[in-house]
Amino acid sequence: MMKNPYRSIEAEVLKVTTETDTIKTFLLKPKEELTFKPGQFMEFSVPGVGEAPFTPSSDSQIKDTIEITIVRVGKVTEAIHELKPGDTVGLRGPLGKGYPLTKFIGQDILVIGGGVGLAPIRTLMYGLFSMRDQLSRLVYRGGCRNPKEFLYRKQLEEWMKRDDVDMKLTVDKGDESWNGPVGVVTTIMDDLDVNFARAKAVVCGPPIMMKFATFKLQELGVRDHNIYLSMEKNMSCGFGKCGHCRIGPYYCCKDGPVFTFDMIREYPGIWE
Amino acid sequence: MFFIKRGNLDKLLESLRGDYRVYVPRKMGNGTGYSILGESDTDYVIGENRSFEPLKSFFFLGREKVAEDFKPDILRNDKPLCIVGAKACDLKGFTILDFVFIDDEYGDPTYMKARKEALIISADCTTVGETCFCTAVDLNPWPDFNFDINLSPVDDGFSVTVGSEKGQTLIDNNRSLFTKETEAQTKAVKQNRKNIQTDVMNRAQEKGIPTTERLRRVVEKQYDSVVWDEVSKTCVECGACNTICPTCHCFLLYDQKSEGKLARFRVWDSCMVNDFARVAGGENPRDRLWMRLRNRFDKKFTYFPEVAGEIGCTGCGRCIAACPGKIDIREVLAELEI
Repeated sequence: MMKNPYRSIEAEVLKVTTETDTIKTFLLKPKEELTFKPGQFMEFSVPGVGEAPFTPSSDSQIKDTIEITIVRVGKVTEAIHELKPGDTVGLRGPLGKGYPLTKFIGQDILVIGGGVGLAPIRTLMYGLFSMRDQLSRLVYRGGCRNPKEFLYRKQLEEWMKRDDVDMKLTVDKGDESWNGPVGVVTTIMDDLDVNFARAKAVVCGPPIMMKFATFKLQELGVRDHNIYLSMEKNMSCGFGKCGHCRIGPYYCCKDGPVFTFDMIREYPGIWE
Repeated sequence: MFFIKRGNLDKLLESLRGDYRVYVPRKMGNGTGYSILGESDTDYVIGENRSFEPLKSFFFLGREKVAEDFKPDILRNDKPLCIVGAKACDLKGFTILDFVFIDDEYGDPTYMKARKEALIISADCTTVGETCFCTAVDLNPWPDFNFDINLSPVDDGFSVTVGSEKGQTLIDNNRSLFTKETEAQTKAVKQNRKNIQTDVMNRAQEKGIPTTERLRRVVEKQYDSVVWDEVSKTCVECGACNTICPTCHCFLLYDQKSEGKLARFRVWDSCMVNDFARVAGGENPRDRLWMRLRNRFDKKFTYFPEVAGEIGCTGCGRCIAACPGKIDIREVLAELEI
């Protein structure tokens, strides 16, 4: 029988965690097997309301549940934020290509995350930690507008205690709870102890942050083909048919959403 | 090569109604349009030029329910299509749509099924439409591919070319309706084709469209041209050019509750509309109308040649006829010529 690529799998909402005023994390239990790789995404639907694409934020080695962290910005995310434990939702995926983790073996890895971009980065970090002995240096630089908006702050603080990752976090604007650096994420990228000429850098965050982080990485000597960007485009089908997310000869959904900078640098509108 | 009399073609089509939904082109105003063939229905025209509507609309419906609840079922299960009188430009459209929709992992199930099961009885053009320019995109005004059998109008009937195994089987199973083509008929087809080709070429050349070897380079080179802004000034974002185009394939999935069930629909979308590429966060890589017009040309003349080795325009000229802003793709291409 032919596969129906438009069909969602039924999933149950197990838990809803409020992260910030506009961000919630949903723990979902798919009723059929649904696995993914770090960097791949899912179309998450509220029955009868609509679908939107999200990258999971949980450990991809956990097979029976999936966590997705979602900012409330539009019609679908509005409905998602109304969800309660026990509700039924739809998941379609996994879609897109994930991070090419085998290419990371033996290399210095630089992970730059910003804002809600810390969600997919969390999945990546679980993946990187699970293969930590195969990597050279591992550096994480994370940024956010203010300490209240830091996703998974407790977990990040746990990770900061680890000696197998060089981790620093910054906020654009501090408060009484914050005693770390203040400034955008590029301001905590000057003390990196990595082999820039060979290092792999992963950037995920709001477009403006990705743009300036990319320029900073170039300035430091990271090669364009080693800068992995998580692109955000309007997507509908998620598998390269509906035409919405085209970037030059690529579709963000099918050929991405992770692209190396050399693949897409010449195309207009990539930061928008 | 075979010959079939018009009366025998009527009989053939009548007999096909059992296994197929047979659609035929009929005279409508100053052109032709498709509708289903009824019982003892012989009111159709073979020849003329392309119909008002693109044939994609039979295979890739404007609105189709593609999933219900969480079930994996394929929902559409229509009788196969038989399209009569299909023109070369629409058949080229299938090359593009097949490239997009047919694939093992994520192929569109109903498109694939409809294409696989369909019987295409194509036909030569015998007239040139006001907006026809297929020769400028390296097509002939007669079918060279993507058909099962082709009909070339000659006196009293049609010279028949076989284009596929399915077409050969059709002839084998209805051998009594066909005769061998005569030399005079072969000659007549050649002459007719030459005449119509010359007519289309004259029309296309009048407009100064760059040659196909140059088209892609011209569109790429002129990426930052002021032409885009100038020609988009009369666009009203109606999306008619997308809807009417035999290669435009963009769609949107939307969900709704209907009759107590969850339904997911696939509906045609238009890249000329402001929201097309806007993300929920508000960023829009093509927030200006001229960028969207440029994107449409980029998709047809840069993207498809690069990824599929095919120009994404068939020269049917429907977008010209449909545009309330009088944007003429031939004139835009000519203006881009360096």
